[in-house]
Amino acid sequence: MHETSIALEILKTSETILAQHGGSRILRVKVAVGELSAVEPELLRYAWEAVTVGGPAEGSCLEVDFLPARQVCPTCGPVPRAPGAWVPLCLSCGAPLLVEGGKELDLVQVEFEVDGEKP
Amino acid sequence: MSPTADVREQILEANRQAAEALRTRFLQEKTLVVNLISSPGAGKTTLLEATLARLSGKLKTAVLVGDIATERDADRIRKLGLPAYQILTGGACHLDARQVQGALEKAGFGALDILFIENVGNLICPTSYDLGEDFKVVLLSLTEGDDKPFKYPAIFARARVALLTKVDLLGIVDFDVEAVERQIRTLNPHGEILRVSAKTGEGMEAWCRKLEHALAAKRA
Repeated sequence: MHETSIALEILKTSETILAQHGGSRILRVKVAVGELSAVEPELLRYAWEAVTVGGPAEGSCLEVDFLPARQVCPTCGPVPRAPGAWVPLCLSCGAPLLVEGGKELDLVQVEFEVDGEKP
Repeated sequence: MSPTADVREQILEANRQAAEALRTRFLQEKTLVVNLISSPGAGKTTLLEATLARLSGKLKTAVLVGDIATERDADRIRKLGLPAYQILTGGACHLDARQVQGALEKAGFGALDILFIENVGNLICPTSYDLGEDFKVVLLSLTEGDDKPFKYPAIFARARVALLTKVDLLGIVDFDVEAVERQIRTLNPHGEILRVSAKTGEGMEAWCRKLEHALAAKRA
């Protein structure tokens, strides 16, 4: 369970960005989490609630954009798949498939409030 | 509309920078660095004991070992007369690049051919942290069950080498090796799979040769 460590890193960077923009409170943070990032979105949201208590991000929403990995046949192109279900070989030609994407673990956007300004 | 700032950077940016600094250092020192990841009990330390016994005399090696508590694993390596440094994570489930930087300062290994980093026993969390290694190696033992790769796809998709350990138990435990190898190849078509037993020595020659080739390639 390293989601707490990950949530703390998100918080640290978000607070830096808040300070750079002269903001007072973090309202929403958007992150991208790939299927092969080894991070569980649900646990990350729980961790976010815990690590933000008592600071400028308390009560803010952590929006997790889940990015599935893609399986691609070098000849026939992308193969349709559901997250968690892995296709062993290309459904059309039987060739081994490549795995692309899904390793993202990115901070995407921070939405904040500036004191004295109406949201 | 509240103001927003677009960021687009890695969440583990600080770790990435520390890992890049380590990678530059290992390149200058021409040291091959291997990050070993598995569940607890898959046989990381036993594999290292057998590996180091084969490489000693030929190559200068050292081991950094991550554990939540105790010096037991580092002690096992030191008993072979080889340098080892234990990183105690105090509860954390993985090593990060800054811990490796700190440990290297304290360990003072000197010039090395191969540095092995034995990560904390955990098939999930260590996956996210780059330690500046040349490649990750995942170990899966025959006693763990043959559905692990699809259950923990992130590490199997990333590790350049997958070692199926304790293969001396083949035929004794229910473990469909071919099915596991198919799962690993699906997740990582360019990865390499080796069957090894530290106990009988099966596959150890191929594994050690793989390390020597990787070292030669780094120095070429």
